[in-house]
Amino acid sequence: MKINISFTMIFIGLLIYGLLIGPFTQYMRNKPIEEKLGYVPSIRILKPMSADQKELVGVSLILKVMMYYGGQIGQVQKQATITESPDLQGMSRLLHGAVQLDPYNMDAYYFAQGFLTWDARQYKIANDLLEYGMKYRTWDWQLPYFAGFNNAFFLKDYKMAAEHYKKAGELSGYDLLIKLAGRYFAESGQTEMAISYLSGMVKTAKNNSIKQAYETRLKAFIEVRKIELARDTFIRSGAGGVLTIDTLMNSGYLNSAPIDPYGGKFYLESDGKVSTTSKFAFSAIK
Amino acid sequence: MLTIIGATLRGIFRDRVFKGIMVLALLFLFIPATASLSMRQVTELSITLSLSLISFILFLLAVFLGATSLWKDMERRYTFSVLSLPVSRCTYLLGRFFGIALFLVMTTSFLGVVASLVIKVSSDMYPPDRPIIWSILFVSLLFTTLKYILVVGVAVLLSTVSTSFFLPIFGTICMFFASGITQQVYEYVTSQATINDTALVKPAVSLVYYLLPNLSSFDLKVNAIYGILPSIEGLGLTLAYFISYTAIIMGFATLIFNYREMK
Repeated sequence: MKINISFTMIFIGLLIYGLLIGPFTQYMRNKPIEEKLGYVPSIRILKPMSADQKELVGVSLILKVMMYYGGQIGQVQKQATITESPDLQGMSRLLHGAVQLDPYNMDAYYFAQGFLTWDARQYKIANDLLEYGMKYRTWDWQLPYFAGFNNAFFLKDYKMAAEHYKKAGELSGYDLLIKLAGRYFAESGQTEMAISYLSGMVKTAKNNSIKQAYETRLKAFIEVRKIELARDTFIRSGAGGVLTIDTLMNSGYLNSAPIDPYGGKFYLESDGKVSTTSKFAFSAIK
Repeated sequence: MLTIIGATLRGIFRDRVFKGIMVLALLFLFIPATASLSMRQVTELSITLSLSLISFILFLLAVFLGATSLWKDMERRYTFSVLSLPVSRCTYLLGRFFGIALFLVMTTSFLGVVASLVIKVSSDMYPPDRPIIWSILFVSLLFTTLKYILVVGVAVLLSTVSTSFFLPIFGTICMFFASGITQQVYEYVTSQATINDTALVKPAVSLVYYLLPNLSSFDLKVNAIYGILPSIEGLGLTLAYFISYTAIIMGFATLIFNYREMK
C-alpha cells in the first residue's frame, strides 16, 4: 500500500513536471532584463557578507553579466535586430561592484571597457575604471593600452592617449605601442587605428559571444575604411557633384555597395564623414 | 594526549558528516571547465575557485567538527569513560583540539595536491600572462589552515560553556562573519570622519575589535591568485597573532572545562 502511494506520488509529480517544464523554461527565458540581471545588494553590504570569498563573489558577478550579454548577442545574431537594448547601466553597476570585491580581476576591466565605450558610449566612466585597475594591476600593459585607445579614438585627447600608450609600451616592451603613442598625436587614420585595435581584440578573445561582437564591429569598420578611401580618391580626382555613396559607386570608386553588418545603411555626412543609420549598434534599428 | 589525538582522528574518519562534506571535493572536477569561461584569466579563475572551495570545505569541517566533538562525547557519555582513566580534563580537551587541528592540516594537504593538479591542467590549457608562483599558493593554503584551526579553537571554547550544539555552531558562524568586518568597522570608527561621534561607540567598537579574532589577515587568496608577494613582516605578525590568540582561547577553554559540572 505504502509503495503504491510512493509510486503514485512520483508518477503525478513527473506528469506535472513534464507538463510544466516547457512553459516554465519559456517564462524564465522571457523574464524582463532587470529581473534577469537581478538585484544585487549595495557593495557595502555585499563585501562583509562575502566573508573570505570576496574574489569568488566578484567572479560570480562578472559571470552573471557575461552570460546575460552573451544571451543578448545570441538573440541579435538570430534575429539581426532586437527590440530591447541590453541593460548597460545594470551591467556597469555589477562590474563596478566586482572590481571593488576583487580589484585585480582582469575579466571585469576587459569586459567593461568593451561595452562601456562601443555600446554605452560612456568613455569617461570606462577610463576611470581602467585608471582604478591600473592602481592594482601595476604590471599589466593592457589596461593603459585600452585607456590609450579610448582617449585617442573616442575622447580625442591625444596627449593622454600618448601617455597611456607610452606606459603600455614601457610595461610590455613592445616598440609598436611606443610608436603608436607618437602616431596618436595625429588626428588622421582613426578608422585604420580602430581596425588594428579590433583585429587585436578578435584574435585574443576567448569568449565566443564577445569575439563575434568584435568581429561584427570590425567588419563594419572595414566597410567604413573602404568608403573613406573611395571618398578621398573621388575628392582628389576633382570630380564635381554631390558626394554620396551612390556617387562613389556610379563613378567606379566603390566596386560594390557597402554592407553594414548591423543592418543599417551607410551614408556620407555633409562634412564627408562616413556614418550609418545603425550607429554601429543593433539596438539602434527598430 | 597522543592517544586522544589518535582517537579523535579515527572518530572523524568514521564520521558521516566528514564524508558528506568531503563529497564537495568532487566539485574540483568541474573547475577547469568553469575556469575556461573566463575571457582573460583562466588560470587565475581556476586558482580562485580552487582556493575558495578549499576554504569553504575547511569552514564546514571546522564549524561542525569543532562545535560538535565535545557535545557528541558528552551525549554518548564517552567523556565520563575517558575522564575515569588517568587523563586530566585539560589533556582530554587539548587532545580533541589538536586532533581536529591535525585533521585540518591533513585535509588541506590532500586538497592542496588536488587543487595543484587542477590549476596545472588549466594553466597548460590556457597559459597565463603571469607565471603561477606556487610558493605563494602554498603559503596561502598554510594560512587558510591556521585560520580554520583558530575557528576550531573558538568552537571548542563555546562548547565548554554550552550543553547543546546550538551555541557552538551558530556562535562560531556569527564570530566568523563578524571577524571579517571588524577591521573595516574599527578603521571607520577610528577615522577622522567620525571624530565627533558619541564617546561610547569608539571604546565599544575597539573592545569588540580586540576581543574577536581578526581573520582577514590570514586571507592571502589575492596574493596567490595574482602572484603578488605578501609582506614577510605581515606574515610573521599574523603567525604570532595566531599562536597568542589560540593559546588564550584554549587557555580559557581548559579553565572553564576544568570547573564544568559533569552530570
